[in-house]
Parts: sequence; structure tokens; C-alpha cells
Amino acid sequence: MNYPVWDVPFLGSGWVIGIIAIIHVLISHFAVGGGLFLPMAEAKAIREGRRDWFPRLEAFSKFFLVLTGVFGAMTGVGIWFAIGLASPEGTSTLIHNFVFAWATEWVVFLVELTLAAAYYYTWNRIPDKIHLRLGWAYAGTSWLTLVIINGILTFQLTPGAWLPHAGSGNEPFYFFQALLNPGYFPSLGLRTLACLSLAGIWAMVFFSGIDGDADGPLKERLVRWSARWVVPAYILMPVFFVWYLFTVPESHRALMSLGISTIGAGAFTMVTRMSLVTVMTSATMAGVVFFFAWLSPRTLSRSQALGVLFLALMATGSTESVREFLRKPFVVNGYLYSNGVHIGDVDHLNAKGYLASSPWVPAATIATATSLPTPELGERMFQGQCLACHTLDGYRSLRRLLSDRDGKAIGNILTMLHDHKPDSPYSKFMPPLVGTPVEIEALRQYLDRTVNGKLTSPVAVFPPVVSASPADSARHKG
Amino acid sequence: MHSPVARWLDERLGYSALVELATHKRVPEHKYSFWYYWGGITLFFFTVMCFTGVLLLLYYRPGDEAYQSVRSITYDIQFGWLIRSTHSWSANLMIGSAFVHMFSTYFLKAYRRPREFLWFSGIVLLLLAMVFGFSGYLLPMDDLSYFATKVGLGIPAVVPVVGPWFSNLVRGGPDISGFTVSRFFALHVVVLPALFIPVLLLHLGLIQKHGMSSPQSELDKPENKRKTIPFFPNFAMKDLAVWLIALNVLAFCAAVFPWPLGPAADALKPAPMDIHPEWYFMSSFEVLKLFGKWIPGEFGEFAGLGLFNLGLVLWVLVPFFDPERRAGAWARRATWFGLVVVGILLFTTIWGYAVLPAAAH
Repeated sequence: MNYPVWDVPFLGSGWVIGIIAIIHVLISHFAVGGGLFLPMAEAKAIREGRRDWFPRLEAFSKFFLVLTGVFGAMTGVGIWFAIGLASPEGTSTLIHNFVFAWATEWVVFLVELTLAAAYYYTWNRIPDKIHLRLGWAYAGTSWLTLVIINGILTFQLTPGAWLPHAGSGNEPFYFFQALLNPGYFPSLGLRTLACLSLAGIWAMVFFSGIDGDADGPLKERLVRWSARWVVPAYILMPVFFVWYLFTVPESHRALMSLGISTIGAGAFTMVTRMSLVTVMTSATMAGVVFFFAWLSPRTLSRSQALGVLFLALMATGSTESVREFLRKPFVVNGYLYSNGVHIGDVDHLNAKGYLASSPWVPAATIATATSLPTPELGERMFQGQCLACHTLDGYRSLRRLLSDRDGKAIGNILTMLHDHKPDSPYSKFMPPLVGTPVEIEALRQYLDRTVNGKLTSPVAVFPPVVSASPADSARHKG
Repeated sequence: MHSPVARWLDERLGYSALVELATHKRVPEHKYSFWYYWGGITLFFFTVMCFTGVLLLLYYRPGDEAYQSVRSITYDIQFGWLIRSTHSWSANLMIGSAFVHMFSTYFLKAYRRPREFLWFSGIVLLLLAMVFGFSGYLLPMDDLSYFATKVGLGIPAVVPVVGPWFSNLVRGGPDISGFTVSRFFALHVVVLPALFIPVLLLHLGLIQKHGMSSPQSELDKPENKRKTIPFFPNFAMKDLAVWLIALNVLAFCAAVFPWPLGPAADALKPAPMDIHPEWYFMSSFEVLKLFGKWIPGEFGEFAGLGLFNLGLVLWVLVPFFDPERRAGAWARRATWFGLVVVGILLFTTIWGYAVLPAAAH
């Protein structure tokens, strides 16, 4: 509403974030887990007199530095660009609340990247003890980045004690209530375990390249030691997962059971279906590691190790999707809807108009919006309130979802979305459609024309509003 | 084998011979070893298909109630949609992996002496699997499966003399009806398994007898330079890991892209614009369509059908054209023939989907 819209045809803006985020999580969690893996491996090598590990660990730390420092950092910034464009209201809310956290995060990032580079470039150049300290320092700082960002991510679903102060203007004073929200600790546990797992899996991918014929004993030890890193996650993740679920509000948890008996509601059952993928991948990954890596470490091939990484990608992607789906229909639970509308603004926007409250809609269009619904006006409504989650022809395609419906049936759905009654199934997943009757009629006309190629039902006529002018148009947000 | 229980069991079942065989069997290890897993993957999907098929049998009702029962499985019964989706996806993935297995076998020349019967039995299994797919496609009796089967059963009808008789026999009358569903159901759950399982056992038995085939590049190496790993536990454990990955791929497909159910079949309604067979029949469907356009009348389709079957016969008989383990003119011709077949299959399949009306995409 306060920002221009970002139209990504076919894919949708949500998937732009999703694709970047899944890659980022796979790498950034490795950055944290690998931060612990490297000094632990080095310490073990020193303790047990295995100097033959050093060249391999040095090469692994180079791979680690390039992957996390380049691709991890690039995708991290990419997420920022993407969320800023796809959900500017949500991003604005997060920045206003967590500016201090992000400032800290950036400082920690700088220290982390410096330490990662220093750790790699000082192999065999400084005493072992100091080199190891660099590694431990890196491990601490990289985990600190998780400690901070985890608070911001969990806040969106479980804002907890911060919520009563939302919209008061004093939100930043409740920084710690927001950061250490109810979902914080179980999520921190889950993510830390995922980090350890991913460290072991990436290490297996790297060490699978060792020639098992030439360096059999070395490959066996390194691969098996890497495989062990998957074990803590396999044992403890279910515990943290159940804990996490109990922190999720009951109404959102109920979304997970929607798809048990049906696929009838299409996208609504996606949470259940993605949860099944998470359970399956998490439950079987340790088995794959055991059969591939633990039992035959010397013959572990790169393609087999990449198979394990592929499973990790599936597990990460599905889990992050479930987390995102569970938050529906909010960006910040109980405060900001996924279409960028604040809960507190709904009545105002219904009375004064959605388009009239947007600084990005030309004054002439707003004047029209007061009494004359047109498909062109409806397109503005579509861009403002539907594009965040839907596309016309691709992901969650409105042309597909509304097919076989005439203008009247489309109007009925829009009325249901506008009324947003608690017992409506749509209310669980979709935000309210806000706007005046003229604006909603305009959206109906636009969707009818888009889906059916023409207007299939009579258009509603509204009496002209004499007092409306661009100058009078209320700008709810300055 | 040292415990009294193990001895007691072995005395009666004699399984130590199997353990002995598995322990001594060795699998070649080389840069093409990746392709060895595809037979196992196909077997895995077949097992899942059987298991989910049995679960579907508990609720599926053939005949006139077919659509309603599938509707109930998909929309009412807890996790019914998942079982149905897993069944359909495993069937498709099984045929997909069987194709990969067949082509990898072909290009690694594993059909050569003395493995001819492995090759023949494998092709029989693939063809039976495709008939499994065709018979299963109709069972939900939604509009797409109804009209696609109608078109499919119209194809053999172009064969002179026996064609119309055969189509009527399979349909159970001049039109597709509840009788057709009952016949397809009997074919799907009784006749085809009764044919498939003995051939499968023969195929697996022949693999045990002949072992895994090595590619020519490996056979050219001196004996002491060739690497092998024990079948049990090394290869078997890796096979298990691959099966777990396959299970995850299957779970992902079944959960994220649940198998849809269209509206109930209605013979009085016009056929959907996007009527098409399953992907593994798309190539033959497209070839028949092309011949139908080039040569008007039923003879066009008949000519297409004849050409397709001629290609299949040549494909089956390739061990006789290229029987020996040495590079020669016939070996090169067989490779080129294989590449042409892959090219035609891929091109006509992609072409078939590309020319479908937009509703199908």
C-alpha cells in the first residue's frame, strides 16, 4: 500500500524469495555448523597426531570459505532484495523492530568473514594453538549470527509479548520480548542441529573426492567422522520439533491437519503435504548416510554424497516451506497480513478505500475509484492485494483457481474474502480483502474479464460521490 | 549360522546356500557403476506399487461405482489421497526407471551373449508394466481416463479382421462402461501380476546366474586391474541407500503433486480438448497421429502401428545382430540404432506435449 508492487509473472514474488532462501539456508547453516566442524577436526588431528588430516582440512576450509563467503553472502543479500520488493510492509516492520539486531548482525558478519579468511590463510603459517583459537573464534561468531537471525525469523510466527504493543509506536522498546519470543529457543535448537548435520553432509561431499584406493585409511576416517555429525540431529530433532510445535498458536497448528483426509482444498492442504516430506526426508537421511558412508566409507563416491546433499536440500526446503505456510495469513502473526495490510487498518481501508490510501495510485484513478468500478481499477486492486501470493498464469494461478466460475461466482468469493468471517475456511489461509464496495466490484470485473475473457455478469452501479476529489482523498499512511 | 536357532532354521530351509551365494557374489566397480542401481530402483517402485495397490483394494469398487469409490479415497478417507498418489507416482516412476535401466543396459551392451534372455525378459517386463499402466489409467473412470482409454482401444481396432473383435472383447461391448472397468480391474490385479511376477523372478534369477555385466572398457583391462565389491553387504547396502533416496523422491512427488481426479466420465459430454495418453504412450500416440495425417484413412494408423511394432521387434532382436564382445561394424550400428530410437522417443514425446491444447499444461 505504501510501496509500489513487484510483479513476477508465472513464478510469483514468493518463489523468488523461496528459491534464494532454500539455497541460502543450505549454505548459511553449513557456515555455522562448518565453523564448529573445522576446529573440532583440527583439534582431533592435533590430539591424535594425525598430521595427514591437515592438507585435507586446509583444502576443505578453502572450499568452505569460497562457498559460504561468496555464495552464502550473495544469497543472504539476495534475500534482502527479494523480501524488500515482495513484502515491503513486512520488511519495514522487521527493520523498525530489529534495527539494533541487524546492526549487531552486520558487525558479527564482518568479524565472521574476516575470521574465516584468516583461518584459511594461516594454515601452517602460525602455531597450531593460535590457529585453532582462530577456528574456535569463528565457530562462536558464526553461531552468534544464527542466535540473532533466529529471533527475527521466529518473531514473525510467534511475536508473543511484543504483540500487545504493536502499532503503539513504542515497539522498539520491546525489542527483547520480540527477539526472545516463544518460538525462539526450540527453533534455535532445531537450527543448530540442522547446522551440525549440514556440516557433516558437506564434509562428506568434499571428502568423497579422496581416492579410496590411494588413501583408503584416511578417507575412511574422515568420511566416518563426518557421518557422525548427522547423529545428534537424528536423535534430538524430533524433541525440538515437538517443542517448537507447541509454541505455535493452536489456530496455526490446526492448519497442519487440513490435508490429512483430502486434497480437496488444493493449496490449503500444502502444509500437511510439505510436512510429510519433512518427516520422510528427516527420518531416512541418517539411513542413507549409514548405508552409503558409514558402511563403505572408502568407496563413497561424489554422486552418492551428492545424493545425501540432495536429501538435505529436500529436507531444508520442505521445512522452511512449512514454517512459511504455518504463518498464513500473516507476515507478522496477529499484526500484519500477507497482503501488506495491518490488522488495525482494515476498517479504515474498508471505509475510505484501499486505492485512495495508496500514494502509488494516480489521483485521477482515485477519483474514479469513488464511484465508477472498472476492470482497470480492479487491476490495481489485484496488484496491491493478490500479487503477494498469486500470479495470473503460474504459481497459484488465479486463472486456474477461478476457472469454471462466472462473474457472479467470482463476486461471491470476493465477498467471502471481504467479510472474512471466522468460520470461513478461507480466513485460515487468506487475508481479508479490503476496500470499498466500488473497489471490490472493480476487482470482480477485472478477474471476470481475465478469467472468462469478457464480463459474464451485470456490473454493479454506484451513485456518484460528489465530495470526492484527489485533494480530499485520505492518505492513511504518510 | 552358529546359534542353535539359525542351525535349526537352516536345516529346514537351507538358506545358508543363499547367504553363501550373496557373500561370494561380486559386483564390478567402475565409472559406469551408477547404472547398476536402476534395476533395483525399478524393483523398489514395483514393490511400493504392490503395497499401495493392496491398500487401494480395500476401498476401491470396480464397475459402476468406480468413480465414487476413487472420489471417496481422494477426498474423504484419511491419507487416502496419499496412498492413491503414491500408487500412481510409483507406477510412473517405475516405468521411467525401467526405461533408464533398459537404455543403460542397451548402451553398455549388456544384452550380449550369454545374457540374451535377461534382455528379452526385461523387455517383456517393461511391456507388461506399460499394460499395467494402461489398465490402471481407466480405473478412476474420470473424464480424461475415459476418453483416453476410448482413443487407446480404438487403435487396435484398425488392425484388419481381428482388430475390432479384440477391442470389443477388452471393452466388454461396443462402448466403455462399467463392464470395461471390471475387465480392466481383473487384468490389473489378477492377470497382469500372474504374468509379471514369474517373468520378474526369471529376470532376477538370470542376474544371479550371470552376474552384473561389465562394459567393454572394463573387460579390456587385465583381470587384476578390474575392481569388484562384494554384493553382500557392500553393494546391497548401497542399494538400500539408493532405495531410500528413491523413496524420498516418490514421497516428494506424491505429496507435493498429488494425483488429480477429474470430473466423472460422461459419455454424452464432448471429449476434453486435452485428451492424451500417459507420457510413456505419448510417443506411439504421436507417431500414429502423424501417420494418420500423412496417409488418410485407417491405413495410415495401421501403417504407423506396423512401423512401431517393426521397430520394437528390431529392438528385441538386437542381441542377435550384435552378439559378441568385440567392437565391430554391428556393434557400432547397434549403438547408432539405439541413439536413433532414443531420439525418436524423446522428440515425439516432447512434440506430443507441445501440440496439446493449453488446458493440458
